Amino acid sequence: MEPLQNGGEKAGGGGGSERKKQPPPRRPSSGNGGAESSGPAAPRERGGSSSGSVTRQRLDSLRKSRPLFPWFGLDIGGTLVKLVYFEQKDITAEEEEEEVENLKSIRKYLTSNVAYGSTGIRDVHLELKDLTLCGRKGNLHFIRFPTHDMPAFIQMGSEKHFSSLHTSLCATGGGAYKFEQDFRTVSDLQLCKLDELDCLIKGVLYIDSVGFNGHSECYYFVHPTDPERCLKLPFNLENPYPLLLVNIGSGVSILAVYSKDNYKRVTGTSLGGGTFYGLCCLLTGCSTFEEALEMASRGDSTKVDKLVRDIYGGDYERFGLPGWAVASSFGNMMSKEKQESVSKEDLARATLITITNNIGSIARMCALNENINRVVFVGNFLRINTISMRLLAYALDYWSKGQLKALFLEHEGYFGAVGALLELLNLA
Amino acid sequence: MAERGGRGGRSRSGDSNLDKSITLPPDEIFRNLENAKRFAIDIGGSLTKLAYYSTVQHKVARVRSFDQSGKDMEHESPYEISVQEEITARLHFIKFENTYIETCLDFIKAHLVNTETKVIKSTGGGAYKFKELIEKKLGLKVDKEDVMTCLIKGCNFVLKNIPHEVFVYQKDSDTEFRFQTNHPNIFPYLLVNIGSGVSIVKVETEDKFEWIGGSSIGGGTFWGLGTLLTKTKKFDELLQLASKGQHTNVDMLVKDVYGGACLTLGLSGNLIASSFGKSATADKEFSKEDMAKSLLHMISNDIGQLACLYAKLHNLDKIYFGGFFIRGHPVTMRTISYSINFFSKGEVQALFLRHEGYLGAIGAFLKGAEQDNPNQYSWGENYAGSSGLMSTSPDLCPMQRARSGTFDMFEMDRLERPLVNLPLLKDPSTYIPDTVDLTDDAMARKYWLTCFEEALDGVAKRAAASQPDSVDAAERAEKFQQKYWDKLQSLRQQPFAYGTLTVRSLLDTREHCLNEFNFPDPYSKVKQKENGIALKCFQSVIETLDSLGWEERQFALVKGLLAGNVFDWGAKAVSDVLESEPQFGFEEAKEKLQERPWLEDSYNEWIERLKGPPHKCALIFADNSGIDIILGVFPFVRELLSRGTEVILACNSGPALNDVTYSESLIVAERIASMDQIIQSALREERLLLVQTGSSSPCLDLSRLDKGLATLVRERKTDLVIIEGMGRAINTNYYAALKCETLKLAVIIFKCQ
Repeated sequence: MEPLQNGGEKAGGGGGSERKKQPPPRRPSSGNGGAESSGPAAPRERGGSSSGSVTRQRLDSLRKSRPLFPWFGLDIGGTLVKLVYFEQKDITAEEEEEEVENLKSIRKYLTSNVAYGSTGIRDVHLELKDLTLCGRKGNLHFIRFPTHDMPAFIQMGSEKHFSSLHTSLCATGGGAYKFEQDFRTVSDLQLCKLDELDCLIKGVLYIDSVGFNGHSECYYFVHPTDPERCLKLPFNLENPYPLLLVNIGSGVSILAVYSKDNYKRVTGTSLGGGTFYGLCCLLTGCSTFEEALEMASRGDSTKVDKLVRDIYGGDYERFGLPGWAVASSFGNMMSKEKQESVSKEDLARATLITITNNIGSIARMCALNENINRVVFVGNFLRINTISMRLLAYALDYWSKGQLKALFLEHEGYFGAVGALLELLNLA
Repeated sequence: MAERGGRGGRSRSGDSNLDKSITLPPDEIFRNLENAKRFAIDIGGSLTKLAYYSTVQHKVARVRSFDQSGKDMEHESPYEISVQEEITARLHFIKFENTYIETCLDFIKAHLVNTETKVIKSTGGGAYKFKELIEKKLGLKVDKEDVMTCLIKGCNFVLKNIPHEVFVYQKDSDTEFRFQTNHPNIFPYLLVNIGSGVSIVKVETEDKFEWIGGSSIGGGTFWGLGTLLTKTKKFDELLQLASKGQHTNVDMLVKDVYGGACLTLGLSGNLIASSFGKSATADKEFSKEDMAKSLLHMISNDIGQLACLYAKLHNLDKIYFGGFFIRGHPVTMRTISYSINFFSKGEVQALFLRHEGYLGAIGAFLKGAEQDNPNQYSWGENYAGSSGLMSTSPDLCPMQRARSGTFDMFEMDRLERPLVNLPLLKDPSTYIPDTVDLTDDAMARKYWLTCFEEALDGVAKRAAASQPDSVDAAERAEKFQQKYWDKLQSLRQQPFAYGTLTVRSLLDTREHCLNEFNFPDPYSKVKQKENGIALKCFQSVIETLDSLGWEERQFALVKGLLAGNVFDWGAKAVSDVLESEPQFGFEEAKEKLQERPWLEDSYNEWIERLKGPPHKCALIFADNSGIDIILGVFPFVRELLSRGTEVILACNSGPALNDVTYSESLIVAERIASMDQIIQSALREERLLLVQTGSSSPCLDLSRLDKGLATLVRERKTDLVIIEGMGRAINTNYYAALKCETLKLAVIIFKCQ
């Protein structure tokens, strides 16, 4: 009945994305909570500390050990590349004199544009102003472009003679490994590859600590499903531990974080942002993530899904299930008539709801198993995606009977890249 | 959550499309309708499961001692045999496609004689759709029961009553279905029912269960989303597509993100990073097969992950999977098993049930039969009337799809007495009665199936000959032969049909088939004759033994046990000899016994032990009638009694081959007592107790023994167990570990060509 499957396929036969973002085995300890806390934590601390607390003596030593400009942090994911760029604003005349031409042109190019080529975008609204990093003041810029444009990006690095700057390029994400060879051969650049979970956590803790231009980085929703009363309120993440960090990119990674250098990857799922967008492309023929979300915002998933009330006529009291709960995602679609009555928007909405609810459900179970009640959702799936954020906020609260709180961060998908930048500053 | 999936080409959903073209063969499908009562029905999205209770009239051979007052010694035989009718209870479950429901209801109405029944219990998502039809056709009131309650009631019932109900599915091993022994305590467990959605239920006791979670991503998602993506409408066809696809074309794998670095990083590059991650493009076409495969993996992995998370949270390690997503589909059993193994890091196995499709119907039936209190009895699967696992799977069993091929049946017989574990088992949860697993061992399987095929002709002849006064005996014997032959053939194709295939299950199936055609005890006459002959020799055997010195006597007793055990009609080699040389006697058997050392020989240890203090109480499982029990076992019992050891002699409750039955043993003991003072006083003083095993099998399952026997064993502080015969000590229990001293005796009989 079923053809024998070859070995390769067998291995991939199931299994979600369990190890997708697992730290590489060169540092096996990061998989185990607590293992790293006894390790050499001191060097890791520097990147995360804010300038205010740095002593003069330390400043001096930093100045000497500061890496060369430009300062980049790169996170090359399965779908998107996230780039953070620190634009130094306190350049002295002397420094400006010394600055090589292509360094200047890079700065100009990045800071004077909001779009790069046809697909690169600078998220101007996320820019962090007047930040002090390693004793230098400047602005932090947040740029993204699709991973399939990596070859063009690497080519640009070659054309701009990036390698002549003798700077290190810190990169994380799977692409740091996948494109390492191309960086070397095409643009003569040696990537400094970094563990993506380390970077993610460092990035989250750092950005939260510096705040969002005087506002809170972290927020939550009250009355998330009530369009009239829904409020987005700041949340003080001053004492963040323990927290469950759910990173929703193409796939999903879930980390339990106990201190800044003690965390473990709890699990992950292959049903993530890539699944939403991928299924939407197949079901609706849309061609961008934004378009998929826009369609979803106009659709009605209850025509596509089978709800508890569709089966039981109301609540299923025996099990305490409310009638509005989804009993079967896409559960109406095997019927020809019902299939003909739904729009592409309805399908997009149902896909979004299905993926979001599932992530909420897995996150909730992990939080219960790990005995953690704060769940922070990050990742680019949440970008401009208030439907999912509010649904996650609601679902977590409802199914945990108010025990769990869903938290969100303004810089959604950029924390890995920020973490990579911080590592660059550590390297010197 | 209760919706049922379609079953491929034959299924037509909806009541508008009922198929009335088939004619139902009455003897084969809705059996015993004449006295059926307590109906229950479980209607899913495409399959209907009907349940009822019937009483079955069986002929049983009864033995009765001749009147003691007069001239009994003049009789050639020690007792008389009469064939009587006995009534036993049976549960019937029939599964068929919804399209046949009207035909089936008409058929039932036409054959239902007993009209006591007023209501029919119903459950399942499709029950409301057919409510009117059922009430109109059968004139019964439809009484709806909660789906999940029925499911769990049914699940508890099969877990407790059906050996080898649970299996692990391993597609890539030699044995796809690995059956588990029944654990004495079935609770607590997790039931993950994958219908349209997923329900995860924690079951703690018979009546206590709790919905602890669920997911909307289930069978309906596979079906609905699969239909949208592939334009393929049927569930089975979607699974077919999935089994042909390559998910790597659609899914983003870890190696797609990390590139070739996976190897050096030690990452499993083939794991899925993002389901459908590669389809996030407007300008590429994907094949239906690939998308279906990707969808199957996505859903299976997700369910497996959630199940593991819930199992961990509730600290449970038994997870049973059911629902139409699983039912009879190797494809989904495989992906779910993979997922559970992956997410539990190998700590938990996905468990499946042989009768998963019947759980709802069983539960609904039990709800309606509470006044009969079915839970107080033990039940046994009737192999003769049950179709076996995957009998209607078109891929596995093409030859059985004719006429009634889409009807799957399951029957359970009520056992007269509740069955329990022998209290002396060292570890009941790991006890496996059978010595050789024929599902596992293809060579042994072929050998034994051939043995049973070759012996079949003789068995059928003997059955016919055992009822010389019956006009239809020959016809029934032929039907028996055909039925058992068919069973053997289907077991060649599907050795997993009734759980682990063993010599015991082959023997039991044969007994069930014989009973089915009213040959309750084909050996009754043979046993009667042999018991008569052996009784006549008893006194001289005892005299000879008593004349021996202690050491010599012990050896003669053991040798006598072994020699007696040669008289086994179950062994084809012996039955051939016995047919042709009826005078083949005890002495000759002793002559033919191999010289020591025997194949397995602990004789010296036994003698050393006998020199020590006597045992408190010995439990003996007897084997054959005639010379075996009378000249082998009884003298041995007599010696034990003389040593001050009490003896519990356990014989089968029902007949199997020429094995001595409990009622025969009572008469034999009575007759021996009249000749022997030691036996007589021991019986009177209850130092010798005759009990029944609760079994009608030529083999011995120490985990299913009569409750009375178990109680007695405990009360008498039994410290020695003696198991006699090939069926009980070699084909089964060869590896059985008990808490007390155990003596296993058997003769292996080969025919030298």
